[in-house]
Amino acid sequence: MEFFERFAIPHPSPMIYASMVAIALVSIGILVGITYFKKWGYLWHEWFTTVDHKKIGIMYLISALVMLFRGGADAILMRAQLSGPDMKLLDGQHYNEIFTTHGVVMIMFMAMPFIFAFMNLVIPLQIGARDVAFPRLNALSFWLFFAGAMLFNISFVIGGSPDAGWTSYFPLAGNDFSTSVGTNYYMLALQISGIGSLMTGINMMTTILKMRAPGMTLMKMPMFTWSTLIANVIIVFAFPVLTVALLMGTTDRLFGTHFFTTTNGGMDMLWANFFWVWGHPEVYILILPAFGLYSEIISTFSSRNLYGYKSMVGSMVLISLLSFLVWTHHFFTMGQGALTNSIFSITTMAIAVPTGVKIFNWLFTLWKGKIRFTVPMLYSIGFIPLFTIGGVTGVMLAMSAADYQYHNTMFLVAHFHNTIIPGVVFAMLAGLTYYWPKFFGFMLNEKIGKSTFWLLTVGFVLAFFPMYITGLDGQARRMYTYSEATGFGPLNMLSFVGAALMAIGFATIVYNVYYSYKNSPRNIGSDPWDARSLEWATHTPVPEYNFARVPQVFSSEAFWDAKKKGHQLFKGELKDIHMPNNSGVPFIMGIIFFIAGFSFIFAIWIPAVIALIGIFVCMALRSFELDHGRHIHVKEIKEIEAQYEEVQGNEARSHTTTRV
Amino acid sequence: MKLDHTQPLEYSTDQNQLNILGFWIFLGAEIMLFATLFTAYFTLEGRTGSGPTPADIFEITPVLIETFVLLTSSFTIGLGVHAMRLGRKNAMLTFFGITLLLGLGFLGVEIYEFTHYYHVGATYQTSAFTAALLTTLGTHGAHVTLGLFWGLFIILQVKKRGLTPENANKSFIFSLYWHFLDVVWIFIFSFIYLKGMMM
Amino acid sequence: MKELFPAKQVMGFVFSLILTAVALLVYFTDLSFGVGMTILLVTAFIQAFLQLVVFMHAGESKDGKSIYTTIFYGVIIALITVFGTLLILLWDM
Repeated sequence: MEFFERFAIPHPSPMIYASMVAIALVSIGILVGITYFKKWGYLWHEWFTTVDHKKIGIMYLISALVMLFRGGADAILMRAQLSGPDMKLLDGQHYNEIFTTHGVVMIMFMAMPFIFAFMNLVIPLQIGARDVAFPRLNALSFWLFFAGAMLFNISFVIGGSPDAGWTSYFPLAGNDFSTSVGTNYYMLALQISGIGSLMTGINMMTTILKMRAPGMTLMKMPMFTWSTLIANVIIVFAFPVLTVALLMGTTDRLFGTHFFTTTNGGMDMLWANFFWVWGHPEVYILILPAFGLYSEIISTFSSRNLYGYKSMVGSMVLISLLSFLVWTHHFFTMGQGALTNSIFSITTMAIAVPTGVKIFNWLFTLWKGKIRFTVPMLYSIGFIPLFTIGGVTGVMLAMSAADYQYHNTMFLVAHFHNTIIPGVVFAMLAGLTYYWPKFFGFMLNEKIGKSTFWLLTVGFVLAFFPMYITGLDGQARRMYTYSEATGFGPLNMLSFVGAALMAIGFATIVYNVYYSYKNSPRNIGSDPWDARSLEWATHTPVPEYNFARVPQVFSSEAFWDAKKKGHQLFKGELKDIHMPNNSGVPFIMGIIFFIAGFSFIFAIWIPAVIALIGIFVCMALRSFELDHGRHIHVKEIKEIEAQYEEVQGNEARSHTTTRV
Repeated sequence: MKLDHTQPLEYSTDQNQLNILGFWIFLGAEIMLFATLFTAYFTLEGRTGSGPTPADIFEITPVLIETFVLLTSSFTIGLGVHAMRLGRKNAMLTFFGITLLLGLGFLGVEIYEFTHYYHVGATYQTSAFTAALLTTLGTHGAHVTLGLFWGLFIILQVKKRGLTPENANKSFIFSLYWHFLDVVWIFIFSFIYLKGMMM
Repeated sequence: MKELFPAKQVMGFVFSLILTAVALLVYFTDLSFGVGMTILLVTAFIQAFLQLVVFMHAGESKDGKSIYTTIFYGVIIALITVFGTLLILLWDM
């Protein structure tokens, strides 16, 4: 009986029961739907077994959008609970679970797959490659991420969500204080998706270092490629720290070790230390690709080359190193001496310098440019002032002495949302709108897109700026309620209104996709934005081999030069193209990892051991497998290219009208 | 498959070169993995609770055997790769075989060592120090174990399919992995055992 | 037979045995903690470098620069993590 009690929801509430029913119904509905429309074969051959970077990118994109709404539902519940004093919508335990899952879902299962989506979709195209260096590994990365995400998301209906915060500090996250399996979910789900992220890091680094088109030296790479390279360097060196920390946390909870306990020599602060040795670089893993996207967008829509290319690269390299030198600023109040706090205060403030350099570079790119106010550009222009405010409050927090006042208040919450939402989320939505036509063959509606932008921006300011004030007045974060006497009520109500506006804004994105799918013209050509880098030089939608001929590159804006200065990108005869074979093994390994994770969470040892053996069997099979890939022959390429030319010919006539 | 004959077989195709660079980047990640384990160990080594201290449980003899065995295996696999580059398949297989036997010997001594710790009351649950020690050694040992299987698979493939560019590539990458484990052991030997016995 | 034992690798092996023997001084003689740690740091890092260059052929291909950069970067971050943590949690607590 005791065994089954672990499966019970530690915190029953009508909302969770309703979600249980909803999840069950939706899952059954999806399964029945796929079977009814006979789509299993299609899904298996085209998606589950694919190793094509573009399809993997699209799967990341869909997952990220779904998770955005999952995390957003958490957010709106929290803001509703805090919208007035002594609200009874959620009780303390439920609130704890919700702020924990909100943080983890948004960082690990929304922002990470979102940036991986753009890396997968854009990088091979932007460097003129056929695919990533290790296509099969890439598929495995995705399925591990997906297994981790699903594992984390079933927590609230089977066994209970983690409730110790997205940082899960020990001893709170230890067995004594977190008795449900919730924190086990946290440990295992993050472990599995973290392994996937690490593999993506290795894959992308190798791809960018080795597979660039002829002529593209390091200093001729487009800025998004540079930012991806640096972000993946950080991934490779930061994620192993998380792996080890999670391993130790797991053994503490499951096998009774004493790494982070308060007895037998354990040191709870070691967890906080490791968490932030990974966690701070993680922030830059998210923001650097966002900077890269902004750089591409700002230069495209200012019709100017990016100002200060070299200083952009230099500042990113500097950021990558500094990102590993600041982690203590997350726990200035933990009790270390003034010497340590001073060192880390200074390194933290130093990071503002390269970031500032980038802000000025963007401003100088805009200066005297012919600016087109498209939706991606609006996000980029909104980002600059909003992110700067986030950065400046960050420097305030960096002063360790003053941090004693700000620590664990809503001021901090306002600060990091102020960097992440305009910094990362806006960049993702800008990138989504910008790259949408390349991968789906039609453009998102500009009018709806603009209303989305304004809803999100106004909503964001209303939701988070009041928190700076309540934070300075002493409203602590992670408190599920407050009394009327504190006077926090009106400003929190304002936050709720802002959050509601943002929710409407996100809903308009879904509507926009639907509306544009129905109404947007399909003959948009391969370069609807008049863009500058190589990803726009191939056809739309992109053929599976990306480029029929490998492009020859002379500058960081190869496509622009080809259009304006007459450089010839594609020279020479067509040759057979070597492509990797599809494989179902990554998908199966994802399932096995899911089973292994679930079994460990509930300490059911027999399936756990069997699943682990299954993982090693898959690896052994891979070792013995002979897989030389396949070739697309010249004849076939010519046929495919001819089809595109036909379409292109029709487009040429309607070209000027559709261009934005 | 395009072959480039100016380079050793393991570098001869584009994919082979990607594999080698990718594996080096993976080793970069492994450096951080072990660095984190060392960090935990150095932080927790003095926190023994009511359990034994490093000096109480470490023995010099098994550690010396392990060190010598692993250093030699790193040498023999280097010779194996050298033989492979000369195209001497049988010599290569012999050196790889010796390497794996030495690896097996290392693992045997490590298992003896772990049972010894268990008998003197230094179990996984005893204290922060023992947990950090056994996790660090165990992670290294798990790498060696995985390497034994991997190496065995490679020997079988070279036997069956000969010295193809693919097999040469796999063998070379395996040698990188094995040398790396030796490097990690040098740090374990110096900063866990010798440092612990010095204090 | 002789061609199977290249001088470079044999020398490398002998040298690594010597370095191990030197490291053992800290166990068999009575040195202060500071001197002992210095010896260990020097021997361990030389030996790691030896493996990297002699046995692992890190610089042999045209990717040598990328490889050395990666490893060097990794070692720097590793040292920052180890010593930063020790500073925070032990030396300045």
